[in-house]
Amino acid sequence: MRHALHAEWTKLRTAPGTVWLLAASIVLTAGASALAAAIVKCPGSCTADTTKVSLTGIMLGQATVATLAVLVMSGEYSTGMIRVTLAAMPRRPALLAAKAAVLSGVVLAVGAIAVGASLLAGRLLEPGNGFTARHGFAALSLAHGPTLRAAAGSVLYLALIALLSLGAATALRDSAAAITVVLGLLYIFPVLGDVVLNPAWQHRIARWAPMNAGLAIQATRNLGTLPIGPWAGLGVLAAWTAVALLAGGLLLRLRDA
Amino acid sequence: MAATITPYRSGQQAGHDGFAQVLRAEWTKFRTMRGWVVTMLAAAVATALAPIALAGTAKSNDPMTCVHGRCQVEGSYVATGPDGEAVTDSFYFVHQPLAGNGSLTVAISSLHGAGAALHLPTKFPPPSRTQPWAKAGILIKASTRPGSPYAAIMATGGHGVRMQYDFTHDIAGPAGPASAASARWLRLTRSGSTLTGQESADGRHWATVGTVQVAGLPATVQAGLFVASPDYDADTQSFGGGDQGITVPTQAMAVFDHVSRQGNWPAGIWTGAQVGAGGQFLAQKVSGHCGTPPCGAVKKTQPPDRFARSGGTFTMAGSGDIAPFVPIVDPLQVTFLGTLFGAIAVIALGAVFITGEYRRGMIRTTLAASPRRGRVLAAKAIVIGSVTFAAGLAGAAVAFPFSVRKLHALGWTPPVWHAWSLTSQVGVRMVIGTAALLAVTALLALAAGTILRRSAGAITAAVGVVVVPLVLSVILPTAPAEWLLRYTPAAAFSLQTSTLRYSQVTTGCIPYHGCYPLAPWTGFAVMCAWAVLALAVAAVLLRRRDA
Repeated sequence: MRHALHAEWTKLRTAPGTVWLLAASIVLTAGASALAAAIVKCPGSCTADTTKVSLTGIMLGQATVATLAVLVMSGEYSTGMIRVTLAAMPRRPALLAAKAAVLSGVVLAVGAIAVGASLLAGRLLEPGNGFTARHGFAALSLAHGPTLRAAAGSVLYLALIALLSLGAATALRDSAAAITVVLGLLYIFPVLGDVVLNPAWQHRIARWAPMNAGLAIQATRNLGTLPIGPWAGLGVLAAWTAVALLAGGLLLRLRDA
Repeated sequence: MAATITPYRSGQQAGHDGFAQVLRAEWTKFRTMRGWVVTMLAAAVATALAPIALAGTAKSNDPMTCVHGRCQVEGSYVATGPDGEAVTDSFYFVHQPLAGNGSLTVAISSLHGAGAALHLPTKFPPPSRTQPWAKAGILIKASTRPGSPYAAIMATGGHGVRMQYDFTHDIAGPAGPASAASARWLRLTRSGSTLTGQESADGRHWATVGTVQVAGLPATVQAGLFVASPDYDADTQSFGGGDQGITVPTQAMAVFDHVSRQGNWPAGIWTGAQVGAGGQFLAQKVSGHCGTPPCGAVKKTQPPDRFARSGGTFTMAGSGDIAPFVPIVDPLQVTFLGTLFGAIAVIALGAVFITGEYRRGMIRTTLAASPRRGRVLAAKAIVIGSVTFAAGLAGAAVAFPFSVRKLHALGWTPPVWHAWSLTSQVGVRMVIGTAALLAVTALLALAAGTILRRSAGAITAAVGVVVVPLVLSVILPTAPAEWLLRYTPAAAFSLQTSTLRYSQVTTGCIPYHGCYPLAPWTGFAVMCAWAVLALAVAAVLLRRRDA
């Protein structure tokens, strides 16, 4: 297993796109978060959840994380490398596990940087936008329990998105198909979720769509009124991820490469 | 002595390499990839079925409630106008019956906001004391039944003199407010079904504002003076989704001098009456944090509308509006967001149409066969654009009538929500618009594929500029959300709105309710500009770089 991990780490490290995609994830996440922190103001959005505002960038950063995760697997299929990999490592579940472990490690590290930068931007910018003690807001701090949970949860969210994408790519093999399915799953439901005219369906989408449910982990205010609790929401995303990885693992085992 | 050597020449005839051949080659490539054809068919099917499925879920609590023939929609009273459209028809009317032809002349020396001042939460823009569309003037109307045909000439709070008739029609006259220093002289003349509105600054030199035909006027009409002041409507969305809306009745006061009549008028006195549901019945509504307004109401009433006469001077207070009714909720627009499923598939195809060549090395063969690279990109754009347009057109043409029928069955009914036919103005725009926006989305993806050469990156980039702005537009506060729908390719989704908007009606318009800041085809032009720019960059890079 150690060799498998080392091999996957070398592949990921030396693939030309990796560094760019990871850098893009950090820039997109932190940049969009800072932008959101700069434009959301009180009055106007005095009921806003300042922690959630400063983590807005996760919605964009997840796209590049998903791209990277898809390429980790489908890149091998597009170049034919997968046959060499499987010849060197015939235990296919172990291969998938090694890829998943290396990928999550990298995404957790990068996610921590991106989330840290986002929170820092929020901490610096939000008090200037009226989110001050006078309106009942404290500066963002990881010493605050819910904020710490939201921050750590956002990093986990990115890792789960990466694993979901890895599972989809393993099942579909083709990078175009896999990224299309993942981005469709992530982004279409939030558009529909807020506007469908049936409250029952709004509730359903908020609870069961992977992005809507997963991002519940970022909430720190009015937790009682959320359609789904923070950890339960992340659990829903984890279930989606588990299904994708299981399907991917099963198909990897059953099919010829 | 040197012998002349004839160089070898191939006996083969030179092949054609015109644009038609490149186009044919690209079409063959698309046609013979089974996966692509299947995906395109799937995109067409998704474009057809997803909106129908969404329409099936659009059950709402009473979109329209009618009690004793008076219908309420979104907290406002709605009547049916002469063309079957939903209208607001409530105002204060001082009138007399006019038999046959005749005219009425007045001078308006004052029009300003009256009644209780509006105190709103700070998140809403402060309302002006006098509503820009407060109206005072002369009205000739078939009857006092709300929704009956009419023509009117009026001074307004902020839009100068206007002649309006049958709710949807609005003709602009000279600008400027009515005041004691510069009274607005107005005259409205009936001659059969022809009504002529005139205005003057001094009562001697008259200029015609408009001459219009109003169908459905009986021999004896109700003619007189009116004052109306529309509800102040404001909507905002705050971070994290959710909207806050406010509707407050307002009142305007106007002074009419020099009232003079020509024609067959009765000798009797003028009667003042409220037409439609007046300001005194309407409560201030505050809605928020719930999907469909109204939800929750704060009672706040205006003093009753009234009039006083002293000699030839009438002082009147009125509220309400004579205008088309524009609903907040657009169920057809929500339904057509289902085409996003098709859009995602189309993005994948657009990108793969060129990245697939890079992946297999086919691009080298393509460029060897047709070295003029710009042509290759143009041919690819034409093929993928046309195929996507055809697939989108087929899908949307199926989706539209079935969605309309389903929504109708669920209570989204006329006069507010029209059962538009496929050949109506809205039907044609939504169906062709959806096909066009899918086609240009494919072109954006093709450009992204040419620039990035990798499928995953290109698809992510295209989804990032087309779909992600829509996600953010329902989450961010109003101003940045509107900015996104104005300057990103997502602006093109304004083609999928079915609500008709009028310049003479001010309504709260926020992205959260599917209201786009740009007009439909203007929004589409924004997306086209992006596509042109992206294709230009792609063409330059394709020419510069080695394949």
